[in-house]
Amino acid sequence: MLKIENLKKHYDNFFLECSLQVNPGQVTGLIGQNGSGKSTTFKAILDLIHPDGGSITLFGKDNQDITPEDKEKLGVVLSDSGFSGYLRIKDIIPILENMYRQFDSSFFIKQVQRFSLPMDKQIKDFSTGMKAKLKVLVAISHGAKLLILDEPTAGLDVIARDELLDMLREFLEEDDERSILISSHISSDLESLCDDLYMIHDGKIILHEDTDILLSNYALLKVDDKQYEALDKSYILRVKKESYGYSCLTNERQYYLENYPNITIEAGSIDELITMMIRGK
Amino acid sequence: MKGLLIKDYKLILNQKNFFCLMIALSVGMLLFSDDVIFPLGFLIFVISLFTISTISYDDYNNGYAFLFTLPITRKGYVKEKYCFGLLLGSFSWILTTLFGLLVILNRNTLPIDEFMISAILILAMMIAILAMTLPFQLKFGGEKGRIALIGAFGIIAIIGIAINQILTLIFHININLLLENIPTINISVLAGLLILIAFICLWISYKISTKIMEHKEF
Repeated sequence: MLKIENLKKHYDNFFLECSLQVNPGQVTGLIGQNGSGKSTTFKAILDLIHPDGGSITLFGKDNQDITPEDKEKLGVVLSDSGFSGYLRIKDIIPILENMYRQFDSSFFIKQVQRFSLPMDKQIKDFSTGMKAKLKVLVAISHGAKLLILDEPTAGLDVIARDELLDMLREFLEEDDERSILISSHISSDLESLCDDLYMIHDGKIILHEDTDILLSNYALLKVDDKQYEALDKSYILRVKKESYGYSCLTNERQYYLENYPNITIEAGSIDELITMMIRGK
Repeated sequence: MKGLLIKDYKLILNQKNFFCLMIALSVGMLLFSDDVIFPLGFLIFVISLFTISTISYDDYNNGYAFLFTLPITRKGYVKEKYCFGLLLGSFSWILTTLFGLLVILNRNTLPIDEFMISAILILAMMIAILAMTLPFQLKFGGEKGRIALIGAFGIIAIIGIAINQILTLIFHININLLLENIPTINISVLAGLLILIAFICLWISYKISTKIMEHKEF
């Protein structure tokens, strides 16, 4: 569906170099702090910026060769961009009808009513939640095969985030071949939705793993100085100095559970994992 | 293209009050003054600005980035802007020319052929304004685009004055005398020629705008 190989983009104080892949029927998450390179990666996929190197293949084609017909199979949410704020929902319906051959206006209108979005109000006067819901609605209303969602839940409260994630789940249930590439700095959003996760930091992918494995095999070992000395460090990915001693990140939780029954082993959330991957040594 | 045209149409509807005010002003000028040419030029110039304003709307809040994720190409976007400008300009030109014709037929203030030649010259001017302003607006965006455009007009004026001065002082050629001798060419031929030149400028401008958009990053 989507393959990025050695994508390079250089700015004054930032260098992006990443590879990632989204397979058909799969939901892939991209996690990283603000400014880690998520949006730059998305913009490169969408040909909004000109990469300095590497290749991007979308629907089996180089992304430079993507035609408007191919783009109809894409649904996009960008964190910092959307339809002009001076348009209203009733204005964008005929625009979408004339842009996408498969735009489902009755579904779109039904969803607009479901989420109580105002038809006759300029988008610039919408609340953050309304804007976010509209962006996702536009992306899922024309039978897209791949959704590219950059921070679709940014700035939303828990309820709104749940509603939005439900919309995405319903979208996925309709067709097994549908895929999503989604970025967020809120890991809990991705934990429940994604099949695999890429972690990006300072423009580089520092971890790629299936979500199930991340949640089942990765763990935090909390040890004092003495326990740390005695610890087999073969499966330790990162170590961080703490007031009590050390916290260690492992991807072999079972090994330490079996061999070190006396040390504290915590499953660890994805947020803790990110912190360890970035701050640990 | 149709989707983008609808978008621009919906965007300028935001300015419908201003649009109506401009029409009313022009109609007022046509009805209450003897000059039928000025209102025509005025309205067409103002209408041309509406096309420019749609670019500002697109640019508002980094809107371009999302726009180019829709099933359109950058070239298609530029093509649509020029088509929209021409459609809007032609519509207002036809409307005001017909109204102007009605006024002069009623009042007999100006021969019809003289009025029509002026109207065609104004049409050529409108096309030239579009050709000049669109690449600037696409390159620099809303506010900066306007400043760059004013700067460009200033530079063109300075170059014009400089050429005139050089011709007069060094080569002793008087431009005004030269221009006065031109009427030996048929005025309708001249008007047609100006329209042709304006369209050539528009085509060159379209090519430049396409290059500008293809190189832009969002």
